[in-house]
Amino acid sequence: MDYIRDFFINFAHSWTTWISGGLPGWAVTVVNFLLGGLILVMMPVIATLALTWMERKVIGRIQNRLGPNRVGPWGIFQAIADAVKMLIKEDIIPDRADRPVFNLAPILIFVGAAMLWAVIPFGRRMIGQDLNIGALYVVAIGSITTVAVLMAGWASNNKFALIGAFRVVAQLLSYEIPMVLSIGVVVLVVGSMRMGTIVESQWVPFCLVLPVAFITYVLAAIAETGRAPFDLLEADSEIVAGYFVEYSGLKFGWFYIAEYGNLMAVSAITTTLFLGGWRGPFAGAAPVLGPLYFIIKTVLVIFVLMWIRGTLPRFRIDQMLAFAWKVLVPAALVNLLWVAAALKLPVPQAVQYAVMLVGNLAILGVTLTLLGQSAKQHAKRHGLAGA
Amino acid sequence: MSQTNPAVEKLRAQFEGAIQAESEFRGETTVTLRPQDLVAVARFLRDDPELRFNHLSNLTAVDWSKYPGHAAKERFSTVYQLLSTRSGQRLTLKVPAPSSDSPIVPSLTGLWPGANWPEREVYDLMGVKFDGHPDLRRILLPFNWPNHPLRKEIPRGGETVPFSMTWEDEEFASFGKQIVEAKAVPQVPPKQADANKHMILNMGPHHPATHGVLRVVVELDGERVVAAYPDLGYLHSGFEKQGESIRYKDFTLYTDRADYVSSMCTNLSYSLAVEKLMGVDIPRRAQVIRVIMAELQRLASHLLWLGTSVLDSAGVSHALLMYCFREREQILDILELVSGARLTTTYIRPGGVWRDVPPSFVERVQDVLDAFPKRIDEYERMVTHNPVWKSRTIGIGKLTQAQALAMSVTGPALRATGLAFDYRKTRPYSGYEAYDFEIPTATDGDLFARYLCRVAEMRQSLRIIEQALKNLPDGPVWTADRKMSLPPRQELDTSMEALIHHFKLNTEGFVPPVGEVYECAESPRGETGFYLVSDGTANPYRLHFRTPSFVNLQATDLMARGGFIADLVLIIGSVDITLGDVDR
Repeated sequence: MDYIRDFFINFAHSWTTWISGGLPGWAVTVVNFLLGGLILVMMPVIATLALTWMERKVIGRIQNRLGPNRVGPWGIFQAIADAVKMLIKEDIIPDRADRPVFNLAPILIFVGAAMLWAVIPFGRRMIGQDLNIGALYVVAIGSITTVAVLMAGWASNNKFALIGAFRVVAQLLSYEIPMVLSIGVVVLVVGSMRMGTIVESQWVPFCLVLPVAFITYVLAAIAETGRAPFDLLEADSEIVAGYFVEYSGLKFGWFYIAEYGNLMAVSAITTTLFLGGWRGPFAGAAPVLGPLYFIIKTVLVIFVLMWIRGTLPRFRIDQMLAFAWKVLVPAALVNLLWVAAALKLPVPQAVQYAVMLVGNLAILGVTLTLLGQSAKQHAKRHGLAGA
Repeated sequence: MSQTNPAVEKLRAQFEGAIQAESEFRGETTVTLRPQDLVAVARFLRDDPELRFNHLSNLTAVDWSKYPGHAAKERFSTVYQLLSTRSGQRLTLKVPAPSSDSPIVPSLTGLWPGANWPEREVYDLMGVKFDGHPDLRRILLPFNWPNHPLRKEIPRGGETVPFSMTWEDEEFASFGKQIVEAKAVPQVPPKQADANKHMILNMGPHHPATHGVLRVVVELDGERVVAAYPDLGYLHSGFEKQGESIRYKDFTLYTDRADYVSSMCTNLSYSLAVEKLMGVDIPRRAQVIRVIMAELQRLASHLLWLGTSVLDSAGVSHALLMYCFREREQILDILELVSGARLTTTYIRPGGVWRDVPPSFVERVQDVLDAFPKRIDEYERMVTHNPVWKSRTIGIGKLTQAQALAMSVTGPALRATGLAFDYRKTRPYSGYEAYDFEIPTATDGDLFARYLCRVAEMRQSLRIIEQALKNLPDGPVWTADRKMSLPPRQELDTSMEALIHHFKLNTEGFVPPVGEVYECAESPRGETGFYLVSDGTANPYRLHFRTPSFVNLQATDLMARGGFIADLVLIIGSVDITLGDVDR
């Protein structure tokens, strides 16, 4: 029973014990690291297979359709059929493309998506590498995507791809700032960048204590992954597919995998930072429930992102940057200031949290009021009051 | 001549000797002018406070060389239909082009910039040149096309197609080099193209947002649109030339293929034009059925527009398209019920409608009436108050009322500028005067105003259908006029004349009198009109097809300048073009 209660950790121990029977100590470490790495690198692929199916089903239902239902029961093998199709497609490289850069971009973008998984805690002690700078690592790895996308857009020698790449640089750089600021708030409250510690110290999920940081992070994360309503970098109705318009076959597949890997990764990070990670009822007594809670929370976040995608029109590039710089960044900065001040109060932690929540709600209220007023002014300027 | 048109009276008083001839046919006045007086007369007609013929509704040309009794006169003449949006009066101007080899008439682009594309079309297809035109190039055909195909000596079919390439052509050497300098691709007008500063981006002919095979050459400064030049003709299929060699009734099915998402409305405009030429009356029941079908089609077309327009702004994942398609399906089922086809209906024909509606028709239309108001409310909740949609559409793609009139823009795009101009009210046809409905307008002339107009129009269409359905009279659905209708079966047994008549109508088709008419109807996109010239045979001598998509699309450049690429996509969407309708 005790074995079942913490099944994953105990199983790992048993495995280590079993292979160290026939292998020297250093080889055990190598094998374990390789296996762990393999599992984590496979995560984006698994995420793609699972999420493309889920996305099609969810969007299908939102759009009053059934979604895929031909390949396998409820169409669950649709993603595999797509993968096979992608594998057997011709690999086309445009003439006059910058070939090394063109070929490197899909690899790089996949690497960025895969490496994020190293610091995500699936459960207590279930983490690839519990870095003491986990949160910083997430931000640093996240910006690899920008470089890869710019490489893809530039090397394709296609004007649509180039416009897509321009947009990427503007968008990802702008949204990294509110993202970092909102992660910073969490780090400030916890006092550590270690992802494990961040989860451990959330006796109340941070989304209830720091709603502004939570909302800012989610919005920035949508922008970072380039999903609707911030999908300007691949806006299909404007610039066809943006930066990866010239890619085909498996290279296109890498972009696809990176997109869904990133989607799942940012949802997992949202869960870790703001939704209490693997914490949940009885997770302390039975750590085997931790990964279950973690996956449920992550899928919930992903579902919300898909829901947004199905129902909102796209922003324009200038509006989008204005939203980042004029709304998210100031709100996140004020929030950071307020939280830093609240942490200095000589009161118990619960009271500090209450002060933070009050401040957050105030910031949220002020931001929304200002946004509503500016919308009204905009409408008035165009003579559309009440329209 | 029974009574003289007051406008003609004024013209005679103002311009002595300018009017060469004046004729009246089916209540429409045609004035023949000397070419040198055209611009002055047109300016007077446009600006005179009493007349105010402010809308250039149609511009075309006729080659008279094979017309009986026209041998000695000028071979070509251009024809202009002017309309006063206030009084609904129409005046046709006819200008014989002086020289037969390379005829030249003055251009009206100085008065109506919207004459630009129609004049290019006339030059392209008829070879009439326009003096003072800023950019007289071919528009529908490839620039190296060897002839002007609407001239009467050019045979239909059998021509060598100049753009068909072989592997020996030098264009192939440059293929795959990305910047194709193929000869068949017309040059970008060098007006503001500055290759060092600006990027030229080809959107289309294959692009998700051009709603068909439209190519837009966009000049970009970063993300800003400096200019957008639409390039047409990828779908040009020579309907007008084709129309000259087939019978009047056979052309109905070409009208389906032009504006394939609102075929009923195009059918209706064509039938109205032919019926006007024939001078026949349509029974009440057929008229009411026509109104119901046209309004259902308007609903279907606007639904398709709404879905795709939101799709333009959101990408394929947006939910609204499928909802709109669900509702549109309900209407297409009714179209299929009455005509057997969902898109190319050919249901409304010159003479009436094809068959009477089946018994379940009323019930099915009633279902639409019951379901739709709630559905439209639902869409409004989803889109109208959506802050993202508002920020994307308010103040974008603005067109003032003066600009819209100058560009000959019609339909919702014109009404969004505040002018309640709708042929259903201005020149009612098919009994529209009997229905109680409003013309929705908005004041801003931007994308949001057009959206509001179209959504309001959907509600008005429902109102019209409801009234029509309530007062659906009994009776025949085909005209009783023997010029167009077959004799009843029993008469064939007793009357030799009836037998001959039956035979003639079935083999030759009906024969209209000599004359020329222009008639139009309000389609979901604007003014769909037909200009027919009859030489007294069963085939049209000249058939011109004035389509709203073609004329409205001109305004794209005006609306898109200074905006972003993302706006351009929405602007093209808001014009609501059908490429079959643009290229014909």
